[in-house]
Amino acid sequence: MIKTQGLVKKYGRVAALQGLELEVPAGAVYGFIGQNGAGKTTTLRILAGLLMPDEGWAELAGRNVVRDPRGVRRVVGYMPDFFGVYDDLRVGEYMLFYASAHGIRGAGAQKLRDDLLELVDLGYKRDAFVDTLSRGMQQRLCLARSLIHDPAVLLLDEPASGLDPLARVEMREILRELCRMGKTIIISSHILSELADLCTHVGMIREGRLLRQGPLNEMLAGDRVRRFIMRCIGPVDEPAGLIGNRPGAGVLSTGPGQVEFSLAGDADEAAALLEEIVGSGVRVTHFAQTEQSLEDTFIQLAREVNGA
Amino acid sequence: MSNRSGKDTGDGFWGGMRNGLSPMLNKEMRSRTRGWRSPVLLTVYLGLMSAGTVGFVWLNTAQGGIYPQVGLSLYGLLVFGLVLLLSFIAPATAAGAISGERERRTYDLLLSTGASLTGIVLGKWLASVAYLLFLVLAALPVLALVFLFGGVPPSVMLMAVLLCLLTGLGYGALGLCLSAVLKRSQAATIVSLVLVFLLIFGTPIAAGIAASNINNNVYVSEYYSPETRPIGVPWYLFLSPLSALADAMPGAGEVGMGRGVPLISSIMNELMMQFQPQVNYEYAMKMSAASSIARVGSGQAVTVSGGGTGADIKTRGLLASWPYWTRFALHQGILAIVSLLVAVTAITPRKPWHVWRYRRKTAGP
Repeated sequence: MIKTQGLVKKYGRVAALQGLELEVPAGAVYGFIGQNGAGKTTTLRILAGLLMPDEGWAELAGRNVVRDPRGVRRVVGYMPDFFGVYDDLRVGEYMLFYASAHGIRGAGAQKLRDDLLELVDLGYKRDAFVDTLSRGMQQRLCLARSLIHDPAVLLLDEPASGLDPLARVEMREILRELCRMGKTIIISSHILSELADLCTHVGMIREGRLLRQGPLNEMLAGDRVRRFIMRCIGPVDEPAGLIGNRPGAGVLSTGPGQVEFSLAGDADEAAALLEEIVGSGVRVTHFAQTEQSLEDTFIQLAREVNGA
Repeated sequence: MSNRSGKDTGDGFWGGMRNGLSPMLNKEMRSRTRGWRSPVLLTVYLGLMSAGTVGFVWLNTAQGGIYPQVGLSLYGLLVFGLVLLLSFIAPATAAGAISGERERRTYDLLLSTGASLTGIVLGKWLASVAYLLFLVLAALPVLALVFLFGGVPPSVMLMAVLLCLLTGLGYGALGLCLSAVLKRSQAATIVSLVLVFLLIFGTPIAAGIAASNINNNVYVSEYYSPETRPIGVPWYLFLSPLSALADAMPGAGEVGMGRGVPLISSIMNELMMQFQPQVNYEYAMKMSAASSIARVGSGQAVTVSGGGTGADIKTRGLLASWPYWTRFALHQGILAIVSLLVAVTAITPRKPWHVWRYRRKTAGP
């Protein structure tokens, strides 16, 4: 559905993308993870036809973003990370404006407006001025706007940024609904735990290069480094020292009677470490592997790249 | 063309144009008539025109009675004021049209729709022109006051309205172009106002300086010499609405003491006569000709008559036979087209040089 090959984009001397290779299957919800300045927004803007790459090519639903930008705009709904609204328009007028800009007019446009406002739970705000909406409502309105022409692909750049917890939950529910509708979605976000709940596929980008991509479960299962938590009676300095000195292990955090650490290797390696800690006289009450998160995977990959 | 759900989204150049024009016009007109800015601008604009009118009539009556040509003078003053006001309002209102989208962060949302860039730019431009038309129509009751005094035919007043619109078309497009190029509304507004000021007043001054240099070297005995042919009206003067203002005054073309329209019309006549060599002027006055003289470019000499202000015996070039207002219209049209093309190029994500550079480097599937 979406494929890029050797995408390069430079802003002056700064290379935002350095040969990006992206592959998103149809119907996937693709989490696009990376630090600030990694190249996420640049990638999404190129895919939306808003930016010309310097080299390489990108295709969405069989349409080349450079050669057929108009065709791309027909199949893409784009929601930027920072966006504004026309403060002198009402919510309903705002939707009709974008419907008209996509060539949808008349009764069909009005029905779409009503349906989409209901989808994002803003039907009761149809006659309110857009600038009177809260940030969360504006985010939802922008999402509804990006759906007005029924695009096959949605590009969402930090859709949950700046939202309070309740608004994030609402946004997540809407995105789930869109997944059920069969849209192919790329979401860039810093909130990795939310992506883990939503995404079927993940791609990690750093300094304009894709570190790794694939189905979410494979990404999490394929990690060699695991996270553990150990609780004990008494001070944690001694067990933390033991963990820190062990090859392949690293202390992530310490608290009263608790050490969180990462460990490379299999179960034998974990058992050997536990044996060493217990053997040194530490009274261990709990020793368990915690669930691997996207955050762990990303941090691990970033460390590997830094180490390299 | 249809999208995934089969809805008509319009295709091709005209489809994209319609997708830009229709919603942009609709939104811009709606936006301009909402909020406090529009009523305030209209109030200030009509207030200035009304104050000028009342002040003028009051000054005349205070001097002990109204002289016969007061209606014409008032009309000249009003048209002059109207053209000047619209000359500055047009670029000022258009200067925020595209940069405002960037500042509001609605620019990307707009460009990701099915609207073509040409449609978006034309929609914004036509919206500003429609607003100017609204301002001109709003000023008509004030202009119509001159009918109380008589002496101004409706056809001449229509010419004044046409000049106002032509001014708005060209200068509005210039403001829109700067809005696309300069990215910030404040910078675009300031630069467009300065440029318009230079176009209105700078071009006549520059043309006057050029004409005076040549006139000093012209001798009566050399009138028919090709080397001393009259300079005529330089092309850039027609970027200023002052060049065509005399056509919107009754009695244009009649010059001299006691004839023609007093005040503004006389000023316009004098202004345009600056670009005719003295010898032509004197000859024309002797022959009582009421036609214009001008030279455009370096075309072959032709004999023309009629049109414009001043006197004419011989001139060169095709455009020289056109009345001043048509030449002004042509120049405003060219200014508008060039400005709109630059605006479209400035906002396109696929700039020609980007595409060229990309094609050199990439061979995609």
